[in-house]
Amino acid sequence: MRNRRKIGVISLAILLVAMLLAACGQKKGDTASPSASQPAASPPASSASASASAPADSGTKLTGDFEVQYFVGGYGDKWWNKVIDDFAKANPGLNVIKSGGPQINEQMKPRWIGGNPPDFIYIDGAGLNDRQMVEDGQLEDLTDWFKTAKNVDGDLIGDILAQAPQQYGGKIYNIPLVLNSWGIFWDKALFKEKGWTEPQDFQQFLQVGDQIKAAGINPFIHTGKYPYYINGAFLYPAIVSANNNDPSILQDMAANKPEAFRSPAVLAALNKIVQLRDKGFIDKASVQINHTDSQMLFLQHKDAFIPNGLWLPNEMSKDIPSGFDFGFIPSITQDPGGKVVANTSTATVAVAAKAKNKEAAKAFLQFIFSKAQASQWAELSGAPSNIKGDISASNAPNYVKDAAKYLTDPNTVVIPTITYNADVDKAMMDATLALTIGKITPEEWVKRVSDAAAKVK
Amino acid sequence: MGRRHPFSIFLQGAILTMRTGTAKAQRYGFIAAFTLPAFAFFCIFTIYPVLQALYYSLFDWSGMSEHKTFVGLDNFKAMFRDPIVWRSVGNDYFLVAGKVIGIMALATFFAVALTRFRFKLSGFFRSIFFIPNVISVVVIGVLWNFIYNPQIGFLNAFLSLFTKEKVDIAWLGFPAHTIWMLLPPAIWAGIGFYMILIIAAIQNIPSSLYEASDMEGAGQWSQFRSITLPLVWEQVKVSIIHITMTTLNGSFIIVWIMTEGGPDNSTQVMGSYMYQMAFRQFHFGFGAAIGVLILVVSLITTIVLQRLMRQETIELG
Repeated sequence: MRNRRKIGVISLAILLVAMLLAACGQKKGDTASPSASQPAASPPASSASASASAPADSGTKLTGDFEVQYFVGGYGDKWWNKVIDDFAKANPGLNVIKSGGPQINEQMKPRWIGGNPPDFIYIDGAGLNDRQMVEDGQLEDLTDWFKTAKNVDGDLIGDILAQAPQQYGGKIYNIPLVLNSWGIFWDKALFKEKGWTEPQDFQQFLQVGDQIKAAGINPFIHTGKYPYYINGAFLYPAIVSANNNDPSILQDMAANKPEAFRSPAVLAALNKIVQLRDKGFIDKASVQINHTDSQMLFLQHKDAFIPNGLWLPNEMSKDIPSGFDFGFIPSITQDPGGKVVANTSTATVAVAAKAKNKEAAKAFLQFIFSKAQASQWAELSGAPSNIKGDISASNAPNYVKDAAKYLTDPNTVVIPTITYNADVDKAMMDATLALTIGKITPEEWVKRVSDAAAKVK
Repeated sequence: MGRRHPFSIFLQGAILTMRTGTAKAQRYGFIAAFTLPAFAFFCIFTIYPVLQALYYSLFDWSGMSEHKTFVGLDNFKAMFRDPIVWRSVGNDYFLVAGKVIGIMALATFFAVALTRFRFKLSGFFRSIFFIPNVISVVVIGVLWNFIYNPQIGFLNAFLSLFTKEKVDIAWLGFPAHTIWMLLPPAIWAGIGFYMILIIAAIQNIPSSLYEASDMEGAGQWSQFRSITLPLVWEQVKVSIIHITMTTLNGSFIIVWIMTEGGPDNSTQVMGSYMYQMAFRQFHFGFGAAIGVLILVVSLITTIVLQRLMRQETIELG
């Protein structure tokens, strides 16, 4: 008898495991799990779902489910929580589902593959690449919508954006939400103490670099493990400067035109890296360290300049020595008297091509690209938003104001947001790093990268 | 027959319903009870993913898209034309060779030292040598990154003691041969386990053999060559095959933590390049093809190694 019961228990257990496995296999894509990564059950979601079951007679047209996917990284999720709640309040007939978190890109992947994506996506963080998503046909074509779309205040969205959306073959799929800039940082306090001049162009940079080196400090450090930092803050602005301040060359590079990489402007920019290298300005540690290590060495005054992005002070806030005063210039490679070139860094938002509630997604776009939401973004995420005028908000930190000064100056060339093909991007990173350690020549850089571009095309 | 195993009864009921009672059926039922569940899990968690990888390797797929394009063997053709793939295979075999030689030499040395040369602290050293095995490879990678750090690292600080100028070598940033620098952490992390394995084998050797050879006047070296080594050969063999397999499949971790395959792809191994292509450059099909390559390479290597080392296993009668 006892054995019988045991058998029963065991077979039950096996059955349960089998059912569990089967469930895992099947439901992969269907479990929407609103705010799975946010244990604090967000009241708006539940209240919204409660009101969704009520008849939508409140005068708003938007009904049904509306799901937002947002990655939570350096900018946090305060703004997303706030703006989604506000949107849900403004549209009581809508059941808004939040799918956010640091791992959300991984978690939602099966649903994108399965053709059951969320309605709205914030493209940021590892694992997402807007160009790839466009090529995969996963994003809604917003070209026509963008031409006439007005935000909730009645402003034409296209008019108030600081940087225009990237175009893929003349079409628009995603709209930049954040306006951040690459650039070169230094410590104003250190420069003052040593009597060094804060550089405004490449010549001054080389001069002060000599002084710094003579003082026993490495002039320049970058993160060799992630060479897109030196590419973004040094090489691309240098290419634009050498191309008579015309950023279209970078767009041609992003379109994988091999001849764009063979332009003399690219070679001229690469030769500026060679100058740094041959003068011994580049910290030898650079080649093998990651961004955090390079930033630490910079903060410890082992190095005077670092190519980085405007998020740097925020990212390192816990480790900044007292008295450290960030100096910032978007580019250092221009000739004397030449224009400053700001290479923007952004994160964009888009509507899924297979969204079930495109109406709501577009309404959400009109909702978030308003001045009110933009200034909230700057406040809650610590980064400038892509709406004009907001960047000089009085509560922004000093370095952001510095950046604002540059980005709004008519003498600054602002490079619009560009995402390169992942293969070409990797080829450029590898080649630039190889160039900094003297493994290849600028001509070999051009050969390698244009070959990679030709292969992609 | 004694007590009947509950599983055998269960399976008898479920699978072999007709033939209850016969001893043969009971025997089969018993065997099935132990093999079938394992086989089922093996199929679900090993065979199925392998087949999936094979399937994906025939497609051009970004890893995110709804649509895959069937490209036949194009991924494999592209793979064989890609110089980085060949470099990865070379680096993997370099690590295999380096680790087999380094780990086996040191593990055997320590094992012999801790058993044959009896001294007071041998238990202490045994624990010390085993510690790296308890540490996660990720931690080991981070640790050695600090050792190799050109500015604040231990290695340069140590070398600077002997030089006038401060040493600032970028240990993980040579234009070529940076893969050499991954050997010390990999070997250091591996010694302990194989040392314990060989210690156990040495302790199984009857001391009478050593006593007899002592009387015959054999020194430590000839005892090692003629007694110890032949009698632990089985363990050495297992160790070599195990190191080879774990390196070919698992070198990814240490490479990814320490260099991410850089600088300029010079430390790329098959695993890291697979990850890079599949998840960073959105060529999932190509990544799957590299996965298949890893499988084939590991299988062939293991079979060849087993053939090579088949001879001369000496067993005590």
